[in-house]
Amino acid sequence: MTGISFHEVSHTYRPPRSAPTLALERVSLDVREREFLALLGPSGCGKSTLLYLLGGFLPVEAGAVTVAGKPVTGPGPDRGIVFQNFALYPWKTVRQNILYGLEKQRLPRAERERRARELIELVHLGGFDNSYPAQLSGGMKQRVAIARTLAVDPAILLMDEPFGALDAQTRALMHEELLAIIRRTPKTVVFVTHDVREAVYLADRVAVMSARPGRIKEIVDTGFAGEKGPALTGTRAFADKVEHLWDLVRGEAILAQTRRD
Amino acid sequence: MARVTALGQAALRWVSILAVLILWQVFAEAHVVSAFLLPSFSTVSVRLYHDVVSGDMILAVALTLYRAFAGFALAAVFGVAIGILIARISVMRWFFDPLVSIGLPMPKIAYLPVFILWFGVFDASKILMVTFSAIFPVIVASWAAADGVEGVLLWSALSLGAGRRQLLWEIALPASMPQIFTGLQVAMPISLIVEIISEMAMGGEGLGGSIMTEMRFADSPGVFSGILAIAIVGAVLVKAMELIRRRLLLWHPEALAG
Repeated sequence: MTGISFHEVSHTYRPPRSAPTLALERVSLDVREREFLALLGPSGCGKSTLLYLLGGFLPVEAGAVTVAGKPVTGPGPDRGIVFQNFALYPWKTVRQNILYGLEKQRLPRAERERRARELIELVHLGGFDNSYPAQLSGGMKQRVAIARTLAVDPAILLMDEPFGALDAQTRALMHEELLAIIRRTPKTVVFVTHDVREAVYLADRVAVMSARPGRIKEIVDTGFAGEKGPALTGTRAFADKVEHLWDLVRGEAILAQTRRD
Repeated sequence: MARVTALGQAALRWVSILAVLILWQVFAEAHVVSAFLLPSFSTVSVRLYHDVVSGDMILAVALTLYRAFAGFALAAVFGVAIGILIARISVMRWFFDPLVSIGLPMPKIAYLPVFILWFGVFDASKILMVTFSAIFPVIVASWAAADGVEGVLLWSALSLGAGRRQLLWEIALPASMPQIFTGLQVAMPISLIVEIISEMAMGGEGLGGSIMTEMRFADSPGVFSGILAIAIVGAVLVKAMELIRRRLLLWHPEALAG
């Protein structure tokens, strides 16, 4: 059981020397076990905040966030996270980055090395074991980050605009790799993005959020669970779904734009 | 071809130094000023050679380096610790922030009389004088470095199962290393400079002390050979720090590019 539940969650940022901002207002949301849920919304709508609360990186101030019925009290290896800017340890090689989480588990050395080798192969980085992150391209860095997160085999995968910093081609390839990985080791995924097509393509359900303060505006079933693949994006059904979601997001995006100026 | 260019560039680095030395030699040989005011480079070199062979210069360099390194080591250990504590604990910031603001730009050598009064005229006062002078750039660099550690690095470590205590040693410290090392690279020449000045002011042999002794005996080539030795020791130290940095920060883009 890895069901996730947000119940009436509000969150306020109180930066020093400026006015507090209400980032989330009474958000309630349930994520089913082994579901791929995308959180879609304009910049600054609080979708990342929601993810950080679930990750245990921010304290839950109002409402409740539970995983498998237990309230989240802090970060833990049951919830792995992948960040937009990779958050790799630049002083560690690819192999050492992937080993970091494994070293925190009480596994024998040979077992750790075997797991690390497997993961390097899984993300197609064979031969780059001893490269440093600074020597890799953006797409390769993100594959290392994904491998590092998968190493501790989290039941829940949190992804914070993981492909936002990549070029369009690399992003498309990463979509395929992510889907393949999740087919091999099924997980509950919460995926934050502001890219409508990405959300429709990857997710089983898309939760559309409103501009700040963030609320869940609508939850849309994509309905493409079984037929994911590059061919899907050319279909009529896919285009309709994207348009429907874009209609929902457009107003919020404009609102967020004008408010930022 | 690339090798030749690399060699050429290495040679170029010596051109300006060579030019100054040749100018020095020519000017001294022309006897525009007396040999007492400016002994020629060749005279000074011969003197330096004799000082080295006799062991006097080796002893002086060893003494100066021992005290400079001891002071530098204390500054490094306490400076990094204080800098990181300031960045992480608000009480420490509240306490140290004004002190660092006042202490950083202050010429620490002004405290020399006080240090002599408190710690005597032997090694202890010189070493502590060096520490006091060199610690400020280390504190400031470590503070800025620890402040600048990306939050997501700490978050990802926590979510991979690291404990709060492990964050400091396994994530924050290595992530801060490039900037901390820059602070140490600033502190190293300061340590040498302050050590030599302290020796000149309070005696106690070493490079600074022997220059003052030679001055009292109107031993002009001796003074100049001391200065030459200081220049060489300083250049070697700075170069050594660069090499250590390269080795230590093998992962850093600056090292990977080179």
